[in-house]
Amino acid sequence: MAGSALRRLMAEFKQLTQNPPEGIVAGPISEDNFFEWESLITGPEGTPFEDGVFVANLSFPNDYPLSPPSMKFVSEIFHPNIYPDGRVCISILHPPGDDPTGYESSSERWSPVQSIEKILISVVSMLAEPNDESPANVDAAKMYREDRSKFNDIARKSVRKSLGL
Amino acid sequence: MVRFRSELVILISFLLTLTVIINAFLHKKQFYPSIVYLTKSNSSMAVIYLQAFVLTLLVGKLMNKIFFGQLRAIELEHLFERSWYAITETCLAFTVFRDDFSPRFVTMFTLLLFLKCFHWLAEDRVEYMERSPNITLLFHSRIVGLMALLMLLDLHFVNLAYAHTMAKGASVQLVFGFEYAILFVNILSTMTKYLLHTIDLQNENPWENKGIFILYSDLILGFIRVLLYLTFMSLMFKIHTFPLFAIRPMYLSLRSFKKSLNDVILSRRAIRNLNIMYPDVTPEQLSQYPDTICIICREEMTAQNGDNSQQIKKLPCDHIFHKSCLRSWFQRQQTCPTCRTSILRPPAPQQQANQPQQPPQQQQQPETEPATPLNNRIPTNPNFFINNNRNNIGSIPSDFFANMPGFAAPPLPPFAFMPPPLPPLNLNGLSDQDLNQMEGNERHNVEARIHCLRNISTLLNASMLQMQQYMNICAASSHLENLTQTKTSIENDLKFINIPEVTNKPAKESDETVTSSTNVKQVEEEDESDAIRRRRLQLFEAKSSSQN
Ligand SMILES: [Zn+2]
Ligand SMILES: [Zn+2]
Repeated sequence: MAGSALRRLMAEFKQLTQNPPEGIVAGPISEDNFFEWESLITGPEGTPFEDGVFVANLSFPNDYPLSPPSMKFVSEIFHPNIYPDGRVCISILHPPGDDPTGYESSSERWSPVQSIEKILISVVSMLAEPNDESPANVDAAKMYREDRSKFNDIARKSVRKSLGL
Repeated sequence: MVRFRSELVILISFLLTLTVIINAFLHKKQFYPSIVYLTKSNSSMAVIYLQAFVLTLLVGKLMNKIFFGQLRAIELEHLFERSWYAITETCLAFTVFRDDFSPRFVTMFTLLLFLKCFHWLAEDRVEYMERSPNITLLFHSRIVGLMALLMLLDLHFVNLAYAHTMAKGASVQLVFGFEYAILFVNILSTMTKYLLHTIDLQNENPWENKGIFILYSDLILGFIRVLLYLTFMSLMFKIHTFPLFAIRPMYLSLRSFKKSLNDVILSRRAIRNLNIMYPDVTPEQLSQYPDTICIICREEMTAQNGDNSQQIKKLPCDHIFHKSCLRSWFQRQQTCPTCRTSILRPPAPQQQANQPQQPPQQQQQPETEPATPLNNRIPTNPNFFINNNRNNIGSIPSDFFANMPGFAAPPLPPFAFMPPPLPPLNLNGLSDQDLNQMEGNERHNVEARIHCLRNISTLLNASMLQMQQYMNICAASSHLENLTQTKTSIENDLKFINIPEVTNKPAKESDETVTSSTNVKQVEEEDESDAIRRRRLQLFEAKSSSQN
């Protein structure tokens, strides 16, 4: 019998392929390693990210689901909650514990009740509604607050880029 | 491109070596003198070192082909990172042993580094076993072969160093002896993990105790590693000088030993709590649950009576899980994975100094119904606020309340009636007698503790109510702010209208406008601090809900 982390990842993969959430595709990059996933996320409608298809990699720890995976966008994306190197910073990806900023309530944090699907859905809603209170990308947060039209322009540029245009 | 370049380097190095050797031979015509000539000339030695380096790399590549095939990106990354440290440490070691510096010495160190690389790779590969659903026979034979080879080599070199030290006294061989001994311990731990994973793979059912086996093997091998380092350090310090190059690995091994010790303690505690506090779920009870998927492993829970392998536990919040899944979760968090209610909290590791508070919480359990205790956000008992204040508290030191851990953390906003107790965290004030008294098992002690806890929950409830009121006030005050703003704008307008009058009657009215505008400022300031308070309040609520 395989390890419990592997079994759970396989179960989640099965679930995701049987009932894929709208606008999201995800699965292991290689059948030989279920701990490295790739996901394709469609930019939510009615936002400057609309129509974009963004690629992000998920990397799972050995003790998944006790610890959360980490997520990193491969596609270039300018967003208050995504570090310039692509790492995603949202509360569902943080293990509960001390929160120095005081912005995240522990109910949104990681626990085994969360899942890959919930992470991806949160990322989609993060794209739709950036949280500029504890930004990962300070420049993006500042622009989002102060110069929304420029922010939207950059977002639309990243959409075109993500489509290879 | 890279491949082409490396082949070029190999070719050049071979050609250079060849020319150097032929050159020496042409000069001296005989075997022995040409060897002497070669070793005396710095430039030819440099060429030969380069050649040796290239050869080592080639052998490494060959071994890699045999034992690993393609290396994964993460393995390469680890390899580079670790070799970087290892090379730095080797250079440090060179400075300590510069007297022994010789080609033989350099060879030994290169060999050590070379073997270290394969130990790391083996470790990574075994870890990979848990990640892949396709573990082939080839994988098994490769890893077993590699581990056996490495073990033999390690043992051989330990032996060699031992014999050398015994015969000729302490020398740099001591370092090699210890390095290989530690490598041997490492490969033993890799081997243990491999065996555990393999057994697990052969099993039909999930093997619950595997995690515990891994914990204990880590603990034991970590302990041996620490012992080895300590012996090495003290020996080196005695006969030579302080081994600076061994500090980092020693620190790392100490840290990992501490971590595995901590893990074992937490896991034992989790198991004990699971056994004592939470009831097993019987098949009849299980059939009443609509959803019998364990949220942690996402597998169906099937109660098998009498079979130890699939025990199911129920938490006070009525959520059910596999016992083994809960154990591994409780090692990290003392909350329900589904609803995040805190379960009765066993002492967190850093709170071990606060011993006296823990026993009351744990002993309280058998006295009351498991579903209700300390779930104190909402009092279920209507008598809750009335009857518990005066009974039996006398037997407890008066600052007992203040020492309860729950009160230490939250930064409370300063507000009106009934402030919560301040947190003097210092337990030194308690005498041994006090402590003994609190730890007592007699009925009145236990009762007193329960009362104490109830009081705390009353306090918490009261403060929750207060906070709600407070929130209301906050909301109202922001409304108020709007009003004051309109008021000031009206006043400003009035001011314009009143200008002529004001010039006529300078004193009173202008005074009034000034005061009103300062009022406005104050209101604004207050509003800002309100926002901060509100945020703190949210944080506190989150904290207190996770702590209760
Ligand atoms: Zn389970
Ligand atoms: Zn629960």
